Amino acid sequence: MNETIPKTANSQAVGDEPPVLECIGVERRFGGLVAVTGVDIEIRKGEIFGLVGPNGSGKTTLTNAITGFYPPSKGRIRLDGRDITGTAPHKVAGLGVARTFQNLALFNGMSVLDNILLGRHIHMNPGVVRTALYWWLARPEEVANREIVEEVIEFLQLESIRHELVDGIPIGLKKRVELARALVAEPHLLILDEPMAGMNQEEKEYMARFILDARAERGVSVLLIEHHMDVILGICDRMLALNYGEMIASGIPSEVVKDPGVIKAYIGDGHAG
Amino acid sequence: MFYRQSGVRHNSYSSDRDLFPIPADRYALWFFLALGIAAPWLIDGLYLNSYMLPWLLWTAAALGLNLLTGWAGQMHLGYAAVMAVGAYSTVHAVRFGIPWEFALLIGGLSSSVIGSLFAVAALRVKGLYLAITTLAMQFVMDWVLNHSPAISGGSHASLQSPTFALLGQDITSDAGLYYVALGWCVLVTIFLLNMRRTGLGRALVAVREKDFAAAILGVNSFYYKIIAFATSSFIAGVTGAILVATFYFLASPEQFSVNVSIQVLAMVIVGGLASIIGSYFGAALILLMPGIVNGLFAGFADMVGLQFGPETLAHIPNAAYGALIVIFLMVEPMGLGKIYGNIRDYLLVWPFDQMKK
Repeated sequence: MNETIPKTANSQAVGDEPPVLECIGVERRFGGLVAVTGVDIEIRKGEIFGLVGPNGSGKTTLTNAITGFYPPSKGRIRLDGRDITGTAPHKVAGLGVARTFQNLALFNGMSVLDNILLGRHIHMNPGVVRTALYWWLARPEEVANREIVEEVIEFLQLESIRHELVDGIPIGLKKRVELARALVAEPHLLILDEPMAGMNQEEKEYMARFILDARAERGVSVLLIEHHMDVILGICDRMLALNYGEMIASGIPSEVVKDPGVIKAYIGDGHAG
Repeated sequence: MFYRQSGVRHNSYSSDRDLFPIPADRYALWFFLALGIAAPWLIDGLYLNSYMLPWLLWTAAALGLNLLTGWAGQMHLGYAAVMAVGAYSTVHAVRFGIPWEFALLIGGLSSSVIGSLFAVAALRVKGLYLAITTLAMQFVMDWVLNHSPAISGGSHASLQSPTFALLGQDITSDAGLYYVALGWCVLVTIFLLNMRRTGLGRALVAVREKDFAAAILGVNSFYYKIIAFATSSFIAGVTGAILVATFYFLASPEQFSVNVSIQVLAMVIVGGLASIIGSYFGAALILLMPGIVNGLFAGFADMVGLQFGPETLAHIPNAAYGALIVIFLMVEPMGLGKIYGNIRDYLLVWPFDQMKK
């Protein structure tokens, strides 16, 4: 596998530690349809790994396989050296995987603050008795987690909207709230499914900076699905291109985007070469 | 103007999570609590025990169902059956010689166990299917009560409740029984108020709104649905037991029949899903409105000198009461709690409406 994907260009990656995420020959079928097949990924600590591909190429299916929504039909998935193939989503979250969704999955009836606090769920221990005796049992835990949440709120500059209902804020901020919710879980691996879809250039730059800062300050490894090639080129250490569920190119972004197969898949035949 | 927010500052995260940060809300709360405590001196004993007491108890019941339907988003059409489990086990436990405090606990826990057992079976299905499954549970419970004299108390299917007592004191006075109902309703309310600001409440709402998003945050939706069923069943069981002990004085199956389940659900929906104050309004409307509409209508008929047959007198108020529910829900589908919220929001900035964001 190390022969196919060259060593990272990222100076922060540590060579000796086990990779944060390892996918080996992952395949997922829906009946006769092969959504993803033979995908190998290795994400090292502190790395931002890009995943690109035309619509329907299996990017989201792959993330769903990793997070346990669609267990792979074949292949293994390892997180921090531990096999998590087929583990239920809520357990995968507990093991240190956080993700955001392409179409946003915020809880609209709740405030921004409550949404982000839910990101702390795996670190909290809510219960009926604790709730009944809030003043004695639940309050210390709530306040301690609130402090961590506030750090992230400050980091992502969400202070002014923390008490707003999620329903009423613009989409660029919603994406940021979702990133905040994923970050407060203190994940080892952060999966971002098109975090910049529908954003303008300025919002995109903000988001790219937040992702870079999150890595620098929190040491999180990122699997980034994106269609914006400028973003991939700008912040990813390595990348993988999928087409019809198969790997067509992988390696350092500046080289992958020159790959004739990638250009053909993305733009069409006429522009290749 | 009335709900002044100026001067409300938070210096700590725990004060930011206070139940009622705005002083006006706190004053209103203390005022109504004081009214509730003073009620035995303000209201005639008959009204106290035939209107106030059942209103408080049905509010507690509606709050329990609201936890399940409003917060966790699980339909339940067999709520009265769960109340019956609590009522019957408590009364049997007391007749066996167990003091009321423990008997109520036993009633709540047995409701909890049976309610969650049904939930385990029911939670493999969602939405309307869950509604029908819980409805089946109601009918099974009706059948069991009607066909097992050992539970329902012999051929007349009625079970005399022993004299209610707490801490060794018999409670028989109107005021005493009323205070028991008030105390229980306040306890349930406090629990739900706290639930709104803890991880439990957030997890339940997460399960209700988007279970896949809840899962990715580490919320085990099956576990939290069971927790919701168990907690709401516990509240149902204890409420059912107190209802029998302080209001009906004997337990019989028709007190917990399917139309009671529908009535509690109506209280929750008319009051507003996931609204605490709404459950108070909803219970009041469903419980007290028929009588009030009746009185109003009879008064109106007298005033204009119209003569109605007894049949018409019985049916027109029913129709008016039904129409009232429809009108309330058309004006505000989120229920009476939301209407209250709208009025409060309006008064928040009144008379400076232009400063509304």
